[in-house]
Amino acid sequence: MSAEALANEAYAVALAELPGMGPARLRAVLDRWPPAEAWSVVWSGRAMAVGAVADACRPDPAALAVTWRTAAGRVDVADVWQRYRDAGVGVAVLGGDGYPDALASDAEAPAVVCWLGDPAVVQGPRVGIVGSRRCTRYGRDIAFELGHDLASAGVRVVSGLALGIDGAAHSGALSAPGGAPPVAVVGSGLDVVYPRRHVDLWRRVADAGVVFSESPMGAAPEGWRFPLRNRLIAALADVLVVVESRHQGGSRHTVDAAIERDRVVLAVPGPVRSPLSTYPNELLHQGVGPARDVVDVLVALGLAGRLPMPAPVDAGEPEHEPEPDVDGPADPVEVAVLDAVGWEPATLDDVAERAGRSLGAVAAALARLEAAGRVAERDGRWERVAGRSGAIRRRTAPA
Amino acid sequence: MLATVSSATLLGVDGQPVTVEVHVSSGLPGFTVVGLPDAPCRESRDRVRAALLSSGLSWPQKRVTVNLAPSGVRKGGPGLDLPIAIGVLVATEVFPPEWCFGVGFIGELGLDGSIRRVPGIVPMVDAIGEPTVVVPGGCEREATLVGRHEVRGASTVVELLECLRGEAAWPDPAPPAPVPATGVHERLDLCDVRGQAVARLALEVSAAGGHHLLFCGPPGSGKTMLARRLPGLLPKLTGPAALEATRVRSAAGLVLPGDGLVIDPPFRAPHHGASPVSVIGGGSAHMRPGEVSLASGGVLFLDELAEFPNAVLDALRTPIEEGVVRVCRAKGSVAYPARFLLVGATNPCPCGEWPTMACRCSDVARSRYVRKLSGPLIDRFDLRVLVRRPDVSALLTGRPAEPTAAVAARVLTARTRAAERGVMCNAELPADRLDELAPLADDGVHLLEHRLRAGMLSARGLHRVRRVARTLADLADGPDTLGEEHVGLALALRADPAHEEVAA
Ligand SMILES: [Zn+2]
Repeated sequence: MSAEALANEAYAVALAELPGMGPARLRAVLDRWPPAEAWSVVWSGRAMAVGAVADACRPDPAALAVTWRTAAGRVDVADVWQRYRDAGVGVAVLGGDGYPDALASDAEAPAVVCWLGDPAVVQGPRVGIVGSRRCTRYGRDIAFELGHDLASAGVRVVSGLALGIDGAAHSGALSAPGGAPPVAVVGSGLDVVYPRRHVDLWRRVADAGVVFSESPMGAAPEGWRFPLRNRLIAALADVLVVVESRHQGGSRHTVDAAIERDRVVLAVPGPVRSPLSTYPNELLHQGVGPARDVVDVLVALGLAGRLPMPAPVDAGEPEHEPEPDVDGPADPVEVAVLDAVGWEPATLDDVAERAGRSLGAVAAALARLEAAGRVAERDGRWERVAGRSGAIRRRTAPA
Repeated sequence: MLATVSSATLLGVDGQPVTVEVHVSSGLPGFTVVGLPDAPCRESRDRVRAALLSSGLSWPQKRVTVNLAPSGVRKGGPGLDLPIAIGVLVATEVFPPEWCFGVGFIGELGLDGSIRRVPGIVPMVDAIGEPTVVVPGGCEREATLVGRHEVRGASTVVELLECLRGEAAWPDPAPPAPVPATGVHERLDLCDVRGQAVARLALEVSAAGGHHLLFCGPPGSGKTMLARRLPGLLPKLTGPAALEATRVRSAAGLVLPGDGLVIDPPFRAPHHGASPVSVIGGGSAHMRPGEVSLASGGVLFLDELAEFPNAVLDALRTPIEEGVVRVCRAKGSVAYPARFLLVGATNPCPCGEWPTMACRCSDVARSRYVRKLSGPLIDRFDLRVLVRRPDVSALLTGRPAEPTAAVAARVLTARTRAAERGVMCNAELPADRLDELAPLADDGVHLLEHRLRAGMLSARGLHRVRRVARTLADLADGPDTLGEEHVGLALALRADPAHEEVAA
């Protein structure tokens, strides 16, 4: 195949795969030359003659020029391109055909974006849901429900496919029958599934919606890629919801990026003693609006008219517990125990003491309530499951 | 001339009879020991010669050959010094062979002619078939525990020869060492533990059913204090168990209690920095039972469980499953008893404060810590409970709690019920007899069904839950059929403090 017949995208990904080529350098190179020309400039070692490119390649542009020239000399662009086609990975270059509008307008738009699935699905209202990888049962349930309810209301859920909150939000979105397609942005290359545990979720999101990455294929999930990934989540989200995060958590990057882009940020209130609610509670204190349920988010989107009729969550899903019925338990011990559990994780000692019953009676009641999906145990502590209290059904959107 | 003297050596915690044959012949003067002696045993030559010379006896200017029979058994330790010395004296016709007919000798010799105590007197004496044994002075009580021998003690070679010749009376046994008759845990009472109802119950269940127990909690929550009160809840050792504990202690060269027999369940708490050999047993120069064997019949407490090297944690598997630990050495392996109740303690995270605001650990550090605790190790613990720092109000105003004696009485009753089922404790109930011995009521089945279906309980876990529920019912003098209170509580006593990351 002659070089002239290859698409711009082929040269773009070949450039992206060069060693030492990050998103900023790639953008600097492609801002200066169209991809095919950029490739021949890099290939002949002349790229650093341009000040903006050399600036992006500090501290040692000369050495990098040699690295690139050497690496490019060994690459057959046609082979590279064939790998993307074989893997079904779509590619678009900033300013070129197929580049998602939602990203094109961003000040830090990636020079090249890759995807699995259908990039057209991003058209429509989008809400980012972010939070800790390690989360509480409460956070996971809220993320799942927001994901489900938003997708039911036709809102695309944007998240990062990480463990914890990210995964719960997308699992929720996928559980909504006929729900809006999910949108994911990942840090690694699209053939490097990370975390491995989410290989199935990753595939389901790609099948039903789209998974974006600005990293070329084969890129490892290196730490520096994730803050960059977070800016894309912020760029894609019309509203960003922080479910649970510690003070220094990665969600902070996403929130900062969202604020820079004038996006609306909402935070899910949590117990003041839970370390994982530190950051959302701090955001609330700073004046960010609360996301108590899907209504708050739809109002922030300006879509209050699309009030959800939350369909019962599909019972076949492994990710969530059976939905408790709205009526309370009938057994008096269970009532006392449920009261004693509260919304903050409590040990068996605490529950028995508050309920004033024997350990055996309390343990049996807890096990029954757990089977009924009303409480859950984690790390030896019991919490109530954030079931739908009926609040959604009772609340009506403000006019 | 050839002389033959009876003695014994230590193999693991068991004694092995040894016949010391000494042959003195003309030829180049020399002294050889054959028959698989270990290093301290080979050094006998120098000690024996010096001891005899210091005692005013002469050393033959001849060729002295010592054979230790049976030749296939490795002979350990310095306890053969004395029989070798006696053999040399007989072979050189310093005194007649009749004097040591029917007598076994055990003891190490000092260069000054003193006879010194050696580890393992109890099992070694047990291995001697002769009606009389001579042991180092001060070891008479230990030797008497075996109960088959006329026991003689002697403190020096000179004294021993005078008694053997009939020139002096055998000395009276030395008075027992001033060790308190009761173990230290007798004085650690459960009534000092305020609040902590779940942890107290876990101790009781652990003692009654022989279930291994893990405490998880922040520093200062009293995990060690709780664990130390467990031996006091266990029944006193009797019969073979007491003798076994005594042999292990004796083999390790530790001081025996005042009346010799170990009857208090031991409590051993090796530090996580201790060497694997000291925990598991063995050693190249000197075979010695490890902490797991010293804890046999009692409690092995591993504080800061996650800090122990993997080599040690992995090596615990065999003793937990089989009740013995095998230490391999050049020639065969030695089995030490290791039937202990394992009590572990751990922080919930490196700093100990998770899941409160005070925790400053990174997610990565926490994951790494938790991962070490997960998997096969944590599965060994039938009981896993959280402990918290007690409330100040509970410390000041709480009613005095139930004392050890009351709890120990229930434990004894429960153990009696287990014995009626043909096991020592419920943890040993065979899985295929659970339907017969731990039948479930309908409401109990219901609770288990949910857990099984939700994938929160494995088949193996189910057996463990049923055994614990059996113990709970036995303690409450409950029915033969296990109801939801027993099952629910058994499930609640199996918290998973080492929960791995939540998948979406
Ligand atoms: Zn910590």
